[in-house]
Amino acid sequence: MALTVQSSPASNDYRHLVQDDRIHGSLYTDPAVFADEMERIFTDGWVFVGHESEVPEVGDWVSRRLGTEPVLMVRNRDGAISVVANRCAHRGTTLCPQNDGNNRNFRCAYHGWTYDLDGTLLGVPGPKGFHKDTADLGLDRPGQVDDYRGFVFANRSGTAGPLSDHLGAGGTDLIDRTSNMSPTGRVRLSAGWIGQRIDSNWKMWPESDHDGYHLNFTHASMARAVPDTYYDEIVMTGEEASESATRAYDGGHLELDFRRSYTAELAWLGTTREKVADYCDALEGSYGPEKAKTIMWDGPPHALVFPNLFLAEMNIARIEPVAPGVTVHRHTPLLVEGTDESVNRRLVLQSEAAMGPASFFLTDDAVIAERMHRAFEGAAAGEDGWVDLSRGLEREHIEDGQRWSDITDETTNRGFWHHYRDVMAGAAGGRHNGT
Amino acid sequence: MAIVDEPTRRDIEAFVYLEARLADESRYDEWEALVTDDMHYWVPFGPGDYEPGTRVSYINDNRARLGTRIRQLATGVHHAQDPPSSMRRVVSNIEILSAEGDEFEVGSNFVLYEHAVQATGHLRLWAGRATHRLRRTANGLRMANKKVELVNSTSPLPNLPFII
Repeated sequence: MALTVQSSPASNDYRHLVQDDRIHGSLYTDPAVFADEMERIFTDGWVFVGHESEVPEVGDWVSRRLGTEPVLMVRNRDGAISVVANRCAHRGTTLCPQNDGNNRNFRCAYHGWTYDLDGTLLGVPGPKGFHKDTADLGLDRPGQVDDYRGFVFANRSGTAGPLSDHLGAGGTDLIDRTSNMSPTGRVRLSAGWIGQRIDSNWKMWPESDHDGYHLNFTHASMARAVPDTYYDEIVMTGEEASESATRAYDGGHLELDFRRSYTAELAWLGTTREKVADYCDALEGSYGPEKAKTIMWDGPPHALVFPNLFLAEMNIARIEPVAPGVTVHRHTPLLVEGTDESVNRRLVLQSEAAMGPASFFLTDDAVIAERMHRAFEGAAAGEDGWVDLSRGLEREHIEDGQRWSDITDETTNRGFWHHYRDVMAGAAGGRHNGT
Repeated sequence: MAIVDEPTRRDIEAFVYLEARLADESRYDEWEALVTDDMHYWVPFGPGDYEPGTRVSYINDNRARLGTRIRQLATGVHHAQDPPSSMRRVVSNIEILSAEGDEFEVGSNFVLYEHAVQATGHLRLWAGRATHRLRRTANGLRMANKKVELVNSTSPLPNLPFII
């Protein structure tokens, strides 16, 4: 890994820095913590890479990062998807500097080493001077790549166990509910990704994206500019006034669950059945009237699949750590198949309002995160600079095996951090023993 | 041969400079008075050679959504512009690309320096090409379309909550 800072084994006591009701601010800013995360979370664990619909044709590829490791997600000749390092195995040159493309093979611009789509080294110029076995010099590949309903994940170390264990019942259900928004059961991420660069730590994004407490304040300008957004009824009604809930699943997966507070079908789409009749008919045709009705009322989840996949209702977002104080938050609209394109046009418009650096919501979140990051830049463990996360600790409850609480409670934050603590301190079964 | 006569060319250039200055100074009420009822404001991802709405854009505002954008900026609690960025843009290379009836298509290049005072205090640099469609009305020139193609739009961008 291209990390400049090495952490010493005893440098951070994650069981002290992450407590039941508070965490220490140095977790956002300490370069040694970031280095540990790139190893324990983004190398030893499962990380979301992309969706198979992004690479429909043989040779299609998209550029991604597993933590800070640059990779390509590629459609192979046999139709499978591979994830390979975007780095020549010879001298390390980036093979594909663009965001996406289509190649017959990957040829390095430096010395012409050429790789097949799955990373196998096909040939080197001047072979007489080269005596190593080319079979040993393919592109680096993650130890495990797997997908669930087209959502592709990779685990670099290969030691994380099966993807199904990582997702668990919670993550599986969240991806099911997202995928079932499409009448074919298969979503399509083909409208392009927009990236927002934020000068804050990456962990502020799983937190901010799943914080039901900040909306009345951080997003007050949106409530005033558009008084009748659907957020009014699902989150802006105040403490204990909304039927919405925060949920924390095993494995660090989180949800702001709005389903109980919607007062009309398709409220999450801001429309009525007549306006998207073809879509609704297609859902009924595929799932039957009962299940289609549930889908139309409940809408898509607003949820995190730990650590970097944000199922952002009708968007998919990736949280990309760049450095302790730099994050890229990328999103693409979640498009559906098996219906006319009018609903997808609506989804693109909805995405442009909600997400990205010129949107009505994430701009305010970005400034708040940047202010928060600045406030902890000097934080050192053991001193001032604790973050209180106790809200709702006394009223949350276990239901159906998950932790639930009021929409304004920090159950989601605690769910993220307590899983983080297990991973960083070694209790989640990785090869590390923490301190 | 020039597409328009000299007085028209001067009017068009003056409009483009005024539009830029009002945006620089966050004078959104006055800026909004420059647009027509069918205004479209577009900041595409990559070159603006696609139909807006078929792929995701940074900004793809019809008149109503542009109104929402300006109302949000006026609330006084839009943290992303509280306080407003200090901005100055240099507009150059103005060319009148076409003239049809009362409408003119105008191309220009710009460099914008933004002091992002809300959190980081960074000096941010924005550069690109603007294409305006201007219409002569009873109240003088008005803007029916503004497309802004940023030179680095395919890389992640920092906050863009102001009018560019």
